[in-house]
Amino acid sequence: MGDWMELGQAVFFGVILSFIVAKLISVVVSLNEDRLTGAADQSVQPTSGASEVAKPRVLEEDAGVSVKEASLRGESDGDDDWEGIESTELDEAFSAATTFVAAAAADRMASKVSNELQLQLYGLYKVAIEGPCTTPQPSAIKMTARAKWNAWQKLGDMPPEEAMQKYIMLVTELYPNWAGNSSSARDEGAVGSASSSDKGHMGPVFSSFIYEEEVDNDLKLDAIHVSAREGKMEDLLSCIENGVSINLRDSEERTPLHWAVDRGHFDVVEILIHRSADVNAEDHEGQTPLHYAVLCEREAIAKLLVEHNANLNLKDKDGNTPGDLLGSSWVFMSSPN
Amino acid sequence: MDPGSNPDAPNPNQDPAPSAADAAPQPSDAGIEAIARRVQESLSLSGVSRHRFWETQPVGQFRDLGDTSLPEGPIEAPTPLSDVRRDPYNLPAQYEWTTCDIDDDHTCTEVYNLLTQNYVEDDENMFRFNYSMEFLRWALRPPGYFKSWHIGVRAKASQKLVAFITGVPARIRVRDDVVKWRRSTFLCVHKKLRSKRLAPVMIKEVTRRVHLENIWQASYTAGVVIPTPISTCRYWHRSLNPKKLIDVGFSRLGARMTMSRTVKLYKLPESTVTKGFRKMELRDVPAVTRLLKEYLRQFAVAPDFDQDDVEHWLLPLENVVDSYLVESPETHEITDFCSFYTLPSSILNNPNYSLLKAAYSYYNVSTKTPLQQLMNDALIVAKKNDYDVFNALDVMQNESFLKELKFGPGDGHLHYYLYNYRIRKALHPSELGLVLL
Repeated sequence: MGDWMELGQAVFFGVILSFIVAKLISVVVSLNEDRLTGAADQSVQPTSGASEVAKPRVLEEDAGVSVKEASLRGESDGDDDWEGIESTELDEAFSAATTFVAAAAADRMASKVSNELQLQLYGLYKVAIEGPCTTPQPSAIKMTARAKWNAWQKLGDMPPEEAMQKYIMLVTELYPNWAGNSSSARDEGAVGSASSSDKGHMGPVFSSFIYEEEVDNDLKLDAIHVSAREGKMEDLLSCIENGVSINLRDSEERTPLHWAVDRGHFDVVEILIHRSADVNAEDHEGQTPLHYAVLCEREAIAKLLVEHNANLNLKDKDGNTPGDLLGSSWVFMSSPN
Repeated sequence: MDPGSNPDAPNPNQDPAPSAADAAPQPSDAGIEAIARRVQESLSLSGVSRHRFWETQPVGQFRDLGDTSLPEGPIEAPTPLSDVRRDPYNLPAQYEWTTCDIDDDHTCTEVYNLLTQNYVEDDENMFRFNYSMEFLRWALRPPGYFKSWHIGVRAKASQKLVAFITGVPARIRVRDDVVKWRRSTFLCVHKKLRSKRLAPVMIKEVTRRVHLENIWQASYTAGVVIPTPISTCRYWHRSLNPKKLIDVGFSRLGARMTMSRTVKLYKLPESTVTKGFRKMELRDVPAVTRLLKEYLRQFAVAPDFDQDDVEHWLLPLENVVDSYLVESPETHEITDFCSFYTLPSSILNNPNYSLLKAAYSYYNVSTKTPLQQLMNDALIVAKKNDYDVFNALDVMQNESFLKELKFGPGDGHLHYYLYNYRIRKALHPSELGLVLL
């Protein structure tokens, strides 16, 4: 926040004290977004420094929340480094209060607040954010900077937590209804669901595929295919015991063996072979379970199929044998049986 | 700033007179609606977890979209350098600033470890970016970089590096205005230390050091909507190794789809098809610079690359950036160019795989070879080099090939921001010629 100390110095001469303080307070809490984008209805000349400070603060709102979630994941170690640093409910409330003050200042309600109170808020804010005042005293000519420095300095070694509490109390005195505007946010914060993920960070975003249900797929499956696909051995066996053909075709001519191979259920493949399923059944594209095993890089299953007389020379409708589709070199595929 | 006002409400003060600067294709209402919708989406997506920021903030600035009465350009004039604070901002007592010398192997390893353990993850915490050390050195040392902008925070007692923030200088053109910018990168705070009391002061500190170099604008991206994105892009993904992507949960296999058909669907030819397609070399820098400069002219926001920039950002660097071009077999003219950078991610908690190798589309220029064919060759090269997935934003002309080349939409939206620079209305991603790492 020292940024605006410079700012204060820069605009000091010729500007009345109260105006500066009002403006600076709004910078301190700085969520006055309209300044950033230059609100159409405010013909205010952009004030130097205001948006430099405002933008990072906004980003931090996001970072802070994602952080909180991280700390809620319950990681812990004995490292003293972290002591007293975690984001707490108090942090949340304090942040909400600063946000409110910023919004209030933007509404020009700030003029209702005396300079003295604004300086108090300032001092508390500085302690909460930066700790005790250690910067040198500004020169007496710089009245604004000096007044702010005094407000900060006189709080001495007040702990940041206490400063946050006092700040919140002061805001509550000034604007008894302030929490009403943000109560829902605060409630959520209190139960710890402020959960924007790591996407809340400034920087890149990790993206993965959106899951899209296939709409143009009118595939019809029977229960035996589903149990083979899901690797549900008991369901599969009960289908067979109930007289369902072990080589039953789905609407694209796949057998349960095709599905078990496709999903990599070795045990189901074993059982199906053991129960004499057709290892060379072709689907509507002419592909056998061995084609599937090769495409899906399921080496153990392919070996099992070859050992049980899977035909290495059957071509699918594109003219490819299983060996043609092979990306790696599997020894058992090269020895014709 | 009435918190109750409808953010989508048209601004009554809107000046309908179009200005001369508005010759560019207008995203107009559709674009504005799209953005408003995205905001709504981002609000509803987060469900219970609505962001406090949005609860307390009117998003009134969206009213300003399309308001032609606002001037474009810097929002605020620079303050005199003598007014920029000389001393670093105060950190909490247990911490101290450090400047990270990325050339130093030990420091670079510390930065690498911090980022690898604590940087961006996906929503489900299945993946975390794993920028390589070579990548960090590349990203942080472009021409004219400032060592002082590579800022770390150490715990005083243990000297452990606990946070990191950087910026690098860049020249970016917005319409006809070329400005020196800071490109923000790598804001990372240790997971256990993320607190409002550290990150803001880091942002202020890097901003202060940037101001000391008399630079007053910045560009950055974020995964969340804050006022006000200049553009909102979506990531698209092209499976190169679909089985692995499914196994690690990057993509999902529909119940009615077979793995074998999926694998077949994404199969690529063994070798590239474009005649004269080859890797970029040092001697190509002047030609590529010319090609790129000319091509990027059509976008509203784009980097202003000179030869040094091209040599740094686009000359192939193993496992960092790959660039290919098309040299006409007859005239030996360089007619087309494509590139991608390498950003792997750690796969968290998977017994079989630990790293996802992803290529990210970077800058591509097509003048003679159809862009779709050029990008298909890029996919073929990436597949040959064992990348698992090829990612692309819908920026520049990318939309023209995404669907055709079997890219699928991703769940990540990337919002672009300019700091202290106003753009009158949000840009369609296709007006954006800028890729940030």
